[in-house]
Amino acid sequence: MEVSNSCSSFSSSSVDSTKPSPSESSVNLSLSLTFPSTSPQREARQDWPPIKSRLRDTLKGRRLLRRGDDTSLFVKVYMEGVPIGRKLDLCAFSGYESLLENLSHMFDTSIICGNRDRKHHVLTYEDKDGDWMMVGDIPWDMFLETVRRLKITRPERY
Amino acid sequence: MGLRLPSKVLEHILSFIDSNEDRNSVSLVCKSWFETERKTRKRVFVGNCYAVSPAAVAKRFPEMRSLTLKGKPHFADYNLVPDGWGGYAWPWIEAMAAKCPSLEEIRLKRMVVTDECLEKIAASFKDFEVLVLTSCEGFSTDGIAAIAATCRNLRVLELRECIVEDLGGDWLSYFPETSTSLVSLDFSCLDSEVKISDLERLVSRSPNLKSLKLNPAVTLDGLVSLLRRAPQLTELGTGSFAAQLKPEAFSKLSEAFSNCKQLQSLSGLWDVLPEYLPALYSVCPGLTSLNLSYATVRMPDLVELLRRCSKLQKLWVMDLIEDKGLEAVASYCKELQELRVFPSAPDLDEANIPLTEQGLVFVSKGCRKLESVLYFCVQFTNAALLTIARKRPNLKCFRLCVIEPFAPDYKTNEPLDKGFKAIAEGCKDLRRLSVSGLLSDKAFKYIGKHAKKVRMLSIAFAGDSDLMLHHLLSGCESLKKLEIRDCPFGDTALLEHAAKLETMRSLWMSSCFVSFGACKILSQKMPRLNVEVIDEHPPETRPESSPVERIYIYRTVAGPRMDTPEFVWTIHKNPEIGVSHLAIK
Repeated sequence: MEVSNSCSSFSSSSVDSTKPSPSESSVNLSLSLTFPSTSPQREARQDWPPIKSRLRDTLKGRRLLRRGDDTSLFVKVYMEGVPIGRKLDLCAFSGYESLLENLSHMFDTSIICGNRDRKHHVLTYEDKDGDWMMVGDIPWDMFLETVRRLKITRPERY
Repeated sequence: MGLRLPSKVLEHILSFIDSNEDRNSVSLVCKSWFETERKTRKRVFVGNCYAVSPAAVAKRFPEMRSLTLKGKPHFADYNLVPDGWGGYAWPWIEAMAAKCPSLEEIRLKRMVVTDECLEKIAASFKDFEVLVLTSCEGFSTDGIAAIAATCRNLRVLELRECIVEDLGGDWLSYFPETSTSLVSLDFSCLDSEVKISDLERLVSRSPNLKSLKLNPAVTLDGLVSLLRRAPQLTELGTGSFAAQLKPEAFSKLSEAFSNCKQLQSLSGLWDVLPEYLPALYSVCPGLTSLNLSYATVRMPDLVELLRRCSKLQKLWVMDLIEDKGLEAVASYCKELQELRVFPSAPDLDEANIPLTEQGLVFVSKGCRKLESVLYFCVQFTNAALLTIARKRPNLKCFRLCVIEPFAPDYKTNEPLDKGFKAIAEGCKDLRRLSVSGLLSDKAFKYIGKHAKKVRMLSIAFAGDSDLMLHHLLSGCESLKKLEIRDCPFGDTALLEHAAKLETMRSLWMSSCFVSFGACKILSQKMPRLNVEVIDEHPPETRPESSPVERIYIYRTVAGPRMDTPEFVWTIHKNPEIGVSHLAIK
């Protein structure tokens, strides 16, 4: 029996400091058994929040238009081990370089794209499928389409 | 036996009784009352199309003039019911065509309606006047054309949020060339363009037209031309408002609206540019209903519009109205009865709107007549719920959707138990309740105990254990519809309160922990309940204790249905037969 953890776009048990105590948190394991053949796309849930399809489609369409309009795309940024995150408007950056520069400044440490090692903090992101990926592999525009939030990993300790 | 009321006298008395609930009570008094009642009932309502067979209904109410049917469970609106589940209108249309040819009105909600159904309606009911399809699917504009062409007495044709195979705008030209009897036309859910000249001609030859809801393909120019031909409209759904503003176009639009002196209800307004809003100012003082849920207008343009709507009773709006907009509504729209606030950014990562619980608190304080609320908000507090309950004990419908699942009171970090307790206790007339946010079993103990008149209850991501369901099913005296999703429990409470399920219309549970074993026991224990397991995987291939994906349980006198798709498993009442697919079409 497949048990998939609920859509990761909102249950972030590792960093969310407002989660209830363990005795009440049995419900946090939201067992949303997906229905593979007609399952909702993971990029955005088709069944939550409970709004009708027409409204959902209209809002999705508008969101895509807005991206073209160069307004803003705020995403949350967490540094591993630090419960309080930041919010960042990705549209304010021209590409990966300016993003990294800004993040390094914001978190007061050097941050890189690329493989984890002992020295550096590495930037990762959660994409629309809910998977955690290395920042920098895909073109910037494509990255903006798929990024949900960012996480800065700690340097490895062996 | 003493005096008996002559049936003619009883008939006369019954002619004053419209409510079907009352008529249902009347029919239980004795056999002769049952007979008289059934022969005089004109408006028939069937809340679950599988609760009774079409033939039985047609036979019982031969004088039926109006039939209202509902098919799929409510959660189908949110994509929780897989396509192909059921809810077919055909057997009903067929049965009525055979037995009730005087049928004049058909209203269907969440049903599968085919072109064949529509053609059958057109061909079978000579005096057909009203067709309202809400959230239906399965038909094309060809079916609509058949209705338009054949039903000479058609007064109402409304397609509300249907999924229609749109083959083009030709269907409009099928209305009779001479004057039509149309009072209401709603094609807002269709996508393709209709010829504006067809529309203009139709409107011109429909002198009784009071309600017109256009689709987004109709342009502003088109709207102006139509308004000029139908200044008597009381309800208008505009087309798209997104055109570039030209001063001449603006003044024409303004003038057209100012001539519509009877306009009470306004909707549509897709993508309306704020610069166009002043064109609506002239109708605002008369508006009782305003649906801005597709308008991307923000503050302060929204307030400029709303402060002119002093008679507003119903307001549907995006959360772009923000707390301060709702504060303005609270002071200008004193007649407000119904408020719905929808999320403009349903993805939490994008949520940046300054709409909080405070907005709803403002309206609750300022609008004394407020009785129906649907509110989407990222998070909430107990204090706000307490205030709302205290200020608005007259609430009849309270649906709060805290978008962040399991979100506690963000100020105290507690569950929202206390807040919903206050709502259940304080709002004694509450008929419909939707809860959300972090809720423990305790919240449901309060709801079970105090929500005596609640008929419909919706729950998502809540509770700790089976106790939640136990509290609800052992309390909530008036409960008719219960829908639950993503609450990890079920078996014990379900089996313990099996009898309660027969007093309800239906129970839906998805992504919960109801085991297949429990479903089997329940089904065999309760002959008048259909226990449907909706699961892609055959339940028999898994251990009996493993949870099924969805269950839909409803009372019925029609027995298990014969039109189930592959993924719906009906548990046979005979334990030896086990599970079957009664998929005989």
